[in-house]
Amino acid sequence: MKALILVGGFGTRLRPLTLSVPKPLVDFANKPMILHQIEALKAAGTTEVVLAINYQPELMLGFLREFEAQLGVKIICSQETEPMGTAGPLALAREILDDGSGDPFFVLNSDVISEYPLKDMLEFHKAHNAEATIMVTKVEEPSKYGVVVYNEQTGNVDRFVEKPQIFVGNKINAGIYICQPAILDRIELRPTSIEKEVFPKVAADGKLFCMELPGFWMDVGQPKDYITGLQLYLESLRKRFPERLANGAHVTGNVLIDSTAEIGEGCLIGPDVSIGPGCHIEPGVRLSRCTILRGVRVKKHACITGSIIGWHSTVGQWARVENMTVLGEDVHMSDEVYSNGGVVLPHKEIKASILSPQIIM
Amino acid sequence: MTRSVAIIMVGGPTKGTRFRPLSFNVAKPIFPLAGQPMVHHPIQACKKVPDLVHIYLVGFYEEKEFQLYVSALSTELKVPVRYLKEDKARGSAGGLSHFKDIIMEDDPDMLFVLNCDVCCSFPLAELQEAQRARGGLGTILVKKVSKEKAAEFGELVADPQTKELLHYTEKPETFVSDLINCGVYVFSSSLFDHISSVSTFKRDTASLKRASSFEVLATASTTRGSAAEFIRLDQDVLTPLAGKRQLYVYETLDFWEQIKTPGMALRCSGLYLAQYRRTNPGLLASGDGPGKAAIVGDVYVHPSAKIHPSAKLGPNVAVAANARIGAGVRLISCIILDDVEIKENACVMHSIVGWKSTIGRWSRVQGAGDYEAKLGITILGEDNVVEDEVVVVNCIVLPHKSLSRTVREEIIL
Repeated sequence: MKALILVGGFGTRLRPLTLSVPKPLVDFANKPMILHQIEALKAAGTTEVVLAINYQPELMLGFLREFEAQLGVKIICSQETEPMGTAGPLALAREILDDGSGDPFFVLNSDVISEYPLKDMLEFHKAHNAEATIMVTKVEEPSKYGVVVYNEQTGNVDRFVEKPQIFVGNKINAGIYICQPAILDRIELRPTSIEKEVFPKVAADGKLFCMELPGFWMDVGQPKDYITGLQLYLESLRKRFPERLANGAHVTGNVLIDSTAEIGEGCLIGPDVSIGPGCHIEPGVRLSRCTILRGVRVKKHACITGSIIGWHSTVGQWARVENMTVLGEDVHMSDEVYSNGGVVLPHKEIKASILSPQIIM
Repeated sequence: MTRSVAIIMVGGPTKGTRFRPLSFNVAKPIFPLAGQPMVHHPIQACKKVPDLVHIYLVGFYEEKEFQLYVSALSTELKVPVRYLKEDKARGSAGGLSHFKDIIMEDDPDMLFVLNCDVCCSFPLAELQEAQRARGGLGTILVKKVSKEKAAEFGELVADPQTKELLHYTEKPETFVSDLINCGVYVFSSSLFDHISSVSTFKRDTASLKRASSFEVLATASTTRGSAAEFIRLDQDVLTPLAGKRQLYVYETLDFWEQIKTPGMALRCSGLYLAQYRRTNPGLLASGDGPGKAAIVGDVYVHPSAKIHPSAKLGPNVAVAANARIGAGVRLISCIILDDVEIKENACVMHSIVGWKSTIGRWSRVQGAGDYEAKLGITILGEDNVVEDEVVVVNCIVLPHKSLSRTVREEIIL
């Protein structure tokens, strides 16, 4: 089977992290975001993945080469010379997606984190003889998303309502699709939207179905949702693979610690923390609801909560980092400094406290 | 043989409201700066005056507020210290005059008058020498400050050669002089004659006006002393004597601040710690030796306080009796009062932590460090609890509060 991942552009919402690497390569739970998807696709029988990308494709490919061999999945970049929307990339990759076998292919949005029950989805798709199947997920605030109105018994999709101001339902498009190659006939080679221009036509023909996504779903395209997504992901790991989570007196709640990270005496870590490879967490440090990316040093007695610490940064002794602080790559916070919601661009030194949320250029 | 006495004006509980919430627990003059009560610093300076025979504290606090302190002090200093309680506010000169008979018991020829709420090195011996050399009624300690700062105080003009006081004006609207009155004086015993002549003059003026003036009647009916009895030292006694070859100034080049607010108390605590470095380094904590906490700059730790060896303190830190400072705690520019507990890995900066308060693990109590701004430092009143991991920034917290969530820029009642 084939798959296409909609990677898109600059990932501006996840800056300053995406100033250092393309968004799909930003680690989420100690793994580049896109690997979560490629692994799930592989597990569902995918052999070839097309990345629809319009920014830094060389960097992406260079990075993904090693995973290609490791996972046994062929990875191709379909470079867009202009942004092609959510459907245009399918037309651009038509030759690969429509290989003549008649097999359906997957389409995933790269910002989304979930348990990816792609096998179940494939069965559902086949059982309903659908031209396209989309995953839907229930949300608290449907007015922020594209709501899918469908028949709960048959799964047949009626229509899409983008950011509805009046309640029409609480199931939204989760950004995970399976399509028959036939759908490609409906897509022109131009920038176009799959949700607005393609799916409504399939729905009109009664060939669009949807399946409710079991488990969690989160669009982790911005720091706040990234932290929430980590909590949901770790909770799901606790149910599915508890052995991957850290244990011990210094751990509370769900915590993921890379085996090459060092944790000092008297720390208290968790809940909802991920610590990447090569990190040094010195004695007496407190970490909760945060992500510590590769190669970070957190010095003695520091306290970090609700924040993301970028690659190879350092956090000084008795520093306090909280309230959605995001440190870019190679940021150095001096001893005793306080960051309340500071968003710090890469390669900066922070010597004075940031008392209220602001961007440090 | 010459004899001097010192009179320290300590004020009263209705004064010093700007020192809340700390003044809820202790009379402001007893509040510790650099580990010693505020009033202790002028008293220590008095000790250096060779012919000093008596120290009087004059104010209108209840006697019990000073009892313990004064009795312990007399033994330590080998100079009698006595608290004289005013029955009502009479102004600084009125208060002195009220206790004239007691103050004059030792038949002193010189009187030092010191305000308690100033922080300086109190160069009393130098002041005395200047007074002896020039004669006259008295010598005023002055300091040169910036134009902006001078406007908040009494501004003085002195003859650059003779040092005679030529002009004195209180908080002028326009700039008069960059020399300010430090609130530290030495007088000959004829001060009392001058006060009583002012008093007589005031009484006569008052009786002349009595028939017609509503103002005087209204003033007389309040608890404040009657207009004739209420005599201020600076405005009523000294100002008229400027330019009459009676008063001289002595300029200090050392530090000087007025201690009206908790923020300034923290700053002054640091100034006194720095003074220890020069005058009494044995009072300062040293970070040397195994099993001792790391010390940066000037730090005072009461002998009964327990500091974990992995803690780091300073600069400008004063830790009072029975405080417990846990493992991995960081203290910077703060006053930690009696019986406070600071738990593991907490961090306290630019703050005053009130008696019996508890600061939780990994919590952070912080002020911006602007000593003159209203919320420029954080002040925790007595018996506050800051729970684990909570951040308190630029807050004033009244006594007996428990903080379980992060607070910023707030006064918490």
